[in-house]
Amino acid sequence: MSAPLLEVQELRTWFPVRGGVFLAARGQCRAVDGVSLSIWPGETLGLVGESGCGKSTLGKSVVRLVRPTSGRILFEGTDLAGLSMRQLKPFRREIQMIFQDPGDSLNSRLTVGHMLEEPFLIHGIGDENSRRERVQDLLRTVGLQPSAIDRFPFEFSGGQRQRIGIARAIALNPKLVICDEPVSALDASIQSQILNLLLDLQQRLGLSYLFIAHDLAVVKHVSDRIAIMYLGNVVETGDGEEVHRHPRHPYTRALISAIPQPVPGRTRHRQVLVGEVPSPIHPPPGCPFQTRCPQVQPVCREQKPPLREVAGAGRSAHSVACHFDL
Amino acid sequence: MTSTATSDRRGAALLDVQDLAIEFDTEAGVARAVDGVSFQLREGHTLGIVGESGCGKSVTALSILRLLPQPMGRIAGGRILFRGEDLVTAPGERIRRVRTGEIGMIFQEPMTALNPVHRVGRQLSEAFLLHQDISPRTALERSIAVLERVGIPSPELRVSEYPHQLSGGMRQRVVIAMALACRPAIVIADEPTTALDVTIQAQILELMKELQDEMGMSIILITHDLGVIAETCDEVLVMYAGRVAEQGTVRDIFARPSHPYTRGLLESIPRLEHPRKTMLRTIEGMVPSLMDLPAGCRFNNRCRYAQERCRETAPRLEPMQDAHDVSCHRWRELPAWQEPVA
Repeated sequence: MSAPLLEVQELRTWFPVRGGVFLAARGQCRAVDGVSLSIWPGETLGLVGESGCGKSTLGKSVVRLVRPTSGRILFEGTDLAGLSMRQLKPFRREIQMIFQDPGDSLNSRLTVGHMLEEPFLIHGIGDENSRRERVQDLLRTVGLQPSAIDRFPFEFSGGQRQRIGIARAIALNPKLVICDEPVSALDASIQSQILNLLLDLQQRLGLSYLFIAHDLAVVKHVSDRIAIMYLGNVVETGDGEEVHRHPRHPYTRALISAIPQPVPGRTRHRQVLVGEVPSPIHPPPGCPFQTRCPQVQPVCREQKPPLREVAGAGRSAHSVACHFDL
Repeated sequence: MTSTATSDRRGAALLDVQDLAIEFDTEAGVARAVDGVSFQLREGHTLGIVGESGCGKSVTALSILRLLPQPMGRIAGGRILFRGEDLVTAPGERIRRVRTGEIGMIFQEPMTALNPVHRVGRQLSEAFLLHQDISPRTALERSIAVLERVGIPSPELRVSEYPHQLSGGMRQRVVIAMALACRPAIVIADEPTTALDVTIQAQILELMKELQDEMGMSIILITHDLGVIAETCDEVLVMYAGRVAEQGTVRDIFARPSHPYTRGLLESIPRLEHPRKTMLRTIEGMVPSLMDLPAGCRFNNRCRYAQERCRETAPRLEPMQDAHDVSCHRWRELPAWQEPVA
């Protein structure tokens, strides 16, 4: 079995919460609070969770858009967590990111051609003509007309703009692409077009994805393995089918049962969670889910359960962070 | 959220929208956002309106209470009969009474529906004071009671908080409480759970269902989520580019979708049961601009069944069977529908 492309170990990304007259740090927002996960070459790891669970911060930590507080981010064996911006530069080619809102993440004053040429300029690749050719190739690859090269982002629809965002991300042939909610701003008929494009590019270019989204059905569809996040922690991870069919964590179960299914009259037992997600500034002691867990026991309020393997090992492991075997 | 037989669909309709047309003035000219839409809402029923951005579902809902953005938007034709009274021509004073007492509204983003500088209790009390001859103290007591009913913990403390102090789910509960304060006959909910997380969405949908059972109101639910429609509605209206593509009972529409657009939508959503990493069916292209609609059927440039006549004449909404209408020239010739779930 090959080695993982990316191995995140015990990653913590905390943000200081400032306030008062001199903006002194008054506390810590524990956005990502001890997460470990791995991505193997050519696979997709789906990361699911609700708003504020830390999934986007985790993605941004991996590309080092934010600096992690502690832990290791091993990319092909090199720890990116402590590298300086200068040391990071060669790795920026290898790890790219696609953002949620293609309207906000594209520079509205640059033509598509200029925007897509930038990565080549920064890394000093090719001359003007070869770069223009490469940009036109890229546009074709993501399903746009090469004539788009001289147009501005506002001339495109949301789906087309997301294609431009994808073209920018794959320009330098990266190995890993972090997709942060790439389809959640899009309408249903456009969403499926973009998901198909991502699946197709993965096959053709051998990409690995960290696919972050709040919609479990979308994540499960595009992923090999999935990880469920709650309040800065991974509570369950494993093969997508396995986690969907045999969820072991009470939160995963509630999440699956909360998704409205487009099948009328289906009789099923819906488990509606009471209460809301606690603040990551004041996480509860013990298990992060204990305040809403229907099966909570005294031990859950005291000890934080570690993520432990309950079936399989390594890449095929199914792991869960719960004191009990449900 | 009841499911009775719909054979008497043409019977007592609480709300009867006939041939509604809505226009907007834009820099590029007049855009007809809604063009000839008709539907009925029956007592105690939930009607879903589904479609993608720009299909006209939200402006349809806004027009019922004459809340179209002014001065650009206007109702350009049709009737909106509420218990027989036409709301399109009703005087402003009458509409205000309808808005505050008989038809309630819930918006997508609760923060925009609440006044940020007033305490929750004051905003809620206002709804009571407008219609009932009661003291402010009684109004506040009633506000506390209704907040408790929508599941807000310690409501006697929450009434003196400001909207920003509440979470998104709590704010939406406050908005629901305001909409229901005067026991309206109809509640119009425009994407009420779109901004919420899925576990909170489940709570809010459950709450609306309970309140409907308790108070017997009718609901118009606008959403882009077919899952939400399937789980909460009795009837559904599928809209595309300002027109009705298909309408019928939820059961019929999901079991026998007969418009290529409805089918396309149902096929394109990823489902948990799908085998992973398979290509999804898609609807090619994108929704046309209202200023540049194709001739004939508005879906023809994206439809895999389109023929010559689809590009020439617009299909009429015709009854397929009892309580199921479709607007497609070729609905009889489409292949039998196959459930997308493997």
